[in-house]
Amino acid sequence: MTQEITFWVLAVIAVLGALVAVRRRNLIHGVFALMIFFAALAGLFLLLLAEFIAAVQILVYIGAVGILLLFAIMLTERVTGDDARDITSRGSFWGWVAALAVLVFLLLPAIQSADLPQTTEPYNPSVKALGQQMMNPYVVTLEVLALLLTAALIGAVAASQGGEKKKEDADDA
Amino acid sequence: MTLENCLILGAVLFCIGLLGALTRRNAVVVLFSIEIMLNAANLNFIAFWRFSDNPAVLNGPLFTLFTIAVAAAEVAVGLALVIAVYRHFKTVDLEQLDTLKEE
Repeated sequence: MTQEITFWVLAVIAVLGALVAVRRRNLIHGVFALMIFFAALAGLFLLLLAEFIAAVQILVYIGAVGILLLFAIMLTERVTGDDARDITSRGSFWGWVAALAVLVFLLLPAIQSADLPQTTEPYNPSVKALGQQMMNPYVVTLEVLALLLTAALIGAVAASQGGEKKKEDADDA
Repeated sequence: MTLENCLILGAVLFCIGLLGALTRRNAVVVLFSIEIMLNAANLNFIAFWRFSDNPAVLNGPLFTLFTIAVAAAEVAVGLALVIAVYRHFKTVDLEQLDTLKEE
């Protein structure tokens, strides 16, 4: 019963956080709402007994991605933008139609028609087992992922410094 | 807390992310809408794993870990590109970014 209540509370927080993050004009408020969404999702992971994933969610998403987004926003535009300017793109009506259509006609019928298991097996969360299974069947994936992360970070540094050269040329001239 | 409720929550969150990606004009907002969609997928992974016959096989959490790592790589590259684009065009408004090179 308490599990049920916790689930619904976290679900409502997650949905509201995501909605505010997506619709808010002030981008900083949006990112904080996004962090609330990430935290609610970490709570749901805990409720589903994935305690290590919940910790990773908080560390990576709230700790790293959230801060990175804040930096990106503060490095680019004025936070609230021009009040007169529309925050939505041209043809956003069709965006609403597409998003609602995907939900109502694609995802919900798929969920409703599927034959889903109703019961949960008892399970003792164990980080040790997670580490062992990561090493046994998934070690190649792990190595590829390490390579991907290294490449992505080098690529990020290279991409964000792309404009530098031009600026130096301009300074010389 | 049935599997169905978890999946419906995942679907709703995914569509909120889709809504943001399709209707906002700021590139940073579009990026974090994509993060919301990835998180909704993670919720499905964990929910399916929890309701599986044998939760001792940790495929769900491991897939989620890999997704989180890929999402972190994606957001790092994406934000670097947003900043590079901002330096070049002085805007991150997607309505105005409709050329591949400087005019």
